[in-house]
Amino acid sequence: MYLNQFLLLAAFLFSVGVYGVLARKNGVLVLMSIELILNAVNINLVAFGAFHDTVAGQVFALFVIAVAAAEVGVGLAIVLLIYRNRHSIDLSEVDLMKG
Amino acid sequence: MHAVLAAAQTLKAPDLDYFALAPEIVLTAVLVGILLLDVFVDETRKYLVTQVAGLGLLVSLVPVVALAANGADRSMLGGAYVVDNFALLVKALFLATGYVVLLMSSDYIGEGDYYEGEYSFLLLSSLLGMMVMGSSRDLITIFVALELLSIPAYLLAGWRKRDLRSNEACLKYYLLGVLASAVMLYGMSLIFGATGSTVLRTIGREVGGSVGEEPIVTLGIFFIVVGFAFKVSAVPFHFWAPDTYEGAPTPVTAFLSVASKAAGFVALLQLVYIGFFGREEVWGPLFWVLAALTMTVGNLVALRQTNVVRMLAYSSVAQAGYILVPFAVAGSNPAANATAQTAALVYLLIYAAMNLGAFAIVMAVARKTRSAEISSYGGLFTYAPGLTLLMSVFLFSLAGIPPLAGWFAKLYIFESALDAGTAAAVTLAVVAGLNAVIALFYYSAVAKEMWMRPVPDGDTTPIPVPPALAAALAFTAIVVVAVGVYPQAFARLGDLAQLTLR
Amino acid sequence: MLAATKVDVAVFGASAVIVLAGAIGVVISANPVHAALSLVMTLFGVAVLFVAQEAHFLAAVQVIVYAGAIVVLFLFVIMLLGVDRRENVAREELRGQRPIAFLLGIATIAEFVLLTRGTSWVTGAESVVGPASGPGANVETLARSLFTRYLLAFEITSVLLVIAVVGAVVLARRPPPERPEEPEPLAVPERLHTPQLDDAAPVPATEVPAP
Repeated sequence: MYLNQFLLLAAFLFSVGVYGVLARKNGVLVLMSIELILNAVNINLVAFGAFHDTVAGQVFALFVIAVAAAEVGVGLAIVLLIYRNRHSIDLSEVDLMKG
Repeated sequence: MHAVLAAAQTLKAPDLDYFALAPEIVLTAVLVGILLLDVFVDETRKYLVTQVAGLGLLVSLVPVVALAANGADRSMLGGAYVVDNFALLVKALFLATGYVVLLMSSDYIGEGDYYEGEYSFLLLSSLLGMMVMGSSRDLITIFVALELLSIPAYLLAGWRKRDLRSNEACLKYYLLGVLASAVMLYGMSLIFGATGSTVLRTIGREVGGSVGEEPIVTLGIFFIVVGFAFKVSAVPFHFWAPDTYEGAPTPVTAFLSVASKAAGFVALLQLVYIGFFGREEVWGPLFWVLAALTMTVGNLVALRQTNVVRMLAYSSVAQAGYILVPFAVAGSNPAANATAQTAALVYLLIYAAMNLGAFAIVMAVARKTRSAEISSYGGLFTYAPGLTLLMSVFLFSLAGIPPLAGWFAKLYIFESALDAGTAAAVTLAVVAGLNAVIALFYYSAVAKEMWMRPVPDGDTTPIPVPPALAAALAFTAIVVVAVGVYPQAFARLGDLAQLTLR
Repeated sequence: MLAATKVDVAVFGASAVIVLAGAIGVVISANPVHAALSLVMTLFGVAVLFVAQEAHFLAAVQVIVYAGAIVVLFLFVIMLLGVDRRENVAREELRGQRPIAFLLGIATIAEFVLLTRGTSWVTGAESVVGPASGPGANVETLARSLFTRYLLAFEITSVLLVIAVVGAVVLARRPPPERPEEPEPLAVPERLHTPQLDDAAPVPATEVPAP
């Protein structure tokens, strides 16, 4: 059991999450992938907190969870709004404006 | 139960300095007030909510001024929350920006079928997040403040609920914003892990010491800078910005391109100057590349735009590039360090005034033409000479033409680069200079359209400018001209507002 | 700090497998409901990891808030929008994402290399199985910290939750039916872009005029 193991797990989880954000086209699934990244962050925070023997890591993780709840609520409202207007949440179709 | 009660007795309440927190407390009270007022006011008198919100912003400015007059640096919660001159200056900037945006939007929101009360509520809550950001000196507070300012901004971008473009703007902004904060959080977790603290001052000490050599510090800094590069729409993380700016309601676009971007820069200033200062070899080159790319790409793409809002969007991307220049050169030597901080701050303040002004004109013109195409500005001078003159002032200020404020802001950027004196810094200054020339082309293209071209449809009825919008225009124009004519006072403001470093 | 036992290693191994399997499930399942269930799996695995590091309160929050509330919210929306919408995973992605994917990939690989290089204290650090110190139980330590040191952030988070509720309600609610019948005000509101769409009769995306 090394700190290293937790960090590597978190790094893998982070990479999977980033892949999901970029590869998925369903808005809801992109949000889920972002949750994966946030979980990677939480693993890091708790492991580092235990390593440094400070509770700050856990407090930080708690804030991440609370804010994630707010973010997801808003995000799903946005997805719902889009669905209502165009009957699809496929992100590749949400492309009226070309940059 | 007994254990809990015993514990409760030993709990020592934190020392909160209520005077230092007064601006935030007043703003929170106003927030709650307008939320309640919105419930009890009937549909035809929603403008009352906007008026109370505007008044509330001005009232929040009072404690900021009082704190500035008092002058003492205040720190609480173990250094997590600091009220110094820097914090007060940016708080004043955010409040003023918020007030101008509220002035700009009152007619726009009132006339469309928007939710007027909630609009002011969300605008003010985003401002509350920015106020907190100005004082945050700890990773957790920075993160929470960032979310508090971003989440209302995501919602505001989608305020035209039934417009597909507004929906798209909202979704893109939201997804990329959330991704950016997740990436930034990952970086923060690494920095926390390396230093064992969330307080920036402690992090700064550790990063400057032996821990700073650890590779995870490098990675943490990288991820945090990338996360904020999204927020300030630096190239290559800018692609959400033009779409979001075009699709969002115009006053919201003004707000995003000024206040939200300024908040991102404020957070970066604090992180870089207090937290990461010991590792300038990591973030120096990173900012150098970001600055050079952002200026060049922003300006080159802006050249091809035919829509004023989109042109201003790319121009604001390019302007972010200029603000990144002092970050790139800050680590070179102590003199450059101080100048760079002042330069970034002064640029932020001046950019706020001139960009808000330009957007106010776009809104005024769109009231008549209902278009934001550059061609619809043809012959504006013949029927709206006042607006034409003001638009020219704002555009040439953005371009950095001498007697105006933008010129002075750019001068400061160049000075910071030359103070650094290294080859890289001078190269960056040259890149910035070339970009200023490129920018002149597209700014003057709009001016040419307004002054020289004929009116496209021959309709020369004057444009009615509502008083609130006129007030916003007057305020921003006065700042742009006054600072340009008498810059010394402004520079002194920037010098005074240095971050309390250690 | 306690020495790591074989049990600890086994627990870590098992939960790591669960976490990663769930994560991969989220990003590759074609059916959104399966993805949501995989997400639950990941969240539980992470909760086990929290317990293994004596972060009991956080583990409870992880299960209650994340698995309990957030995933249920996801499922609600998926069900509301129809579960039969499978996604063609092999299709062209969003514009402009390839460079970031590349950049982040490089960064992540760099991280692995740096972390496993073995010269840093991170790699050599002994077991992290041990409670964060301080008097009392984990919950008490956490609460003490939350309500003193991080009080301000806590209050801001509560404001944030209120804002999220207000905003989500405004965005998601339909306009009251009598509103469209109101006469248009004389000064027509500016609409820079597309014509307004009617909520009741949504226009399919393909019929939207190109910009």
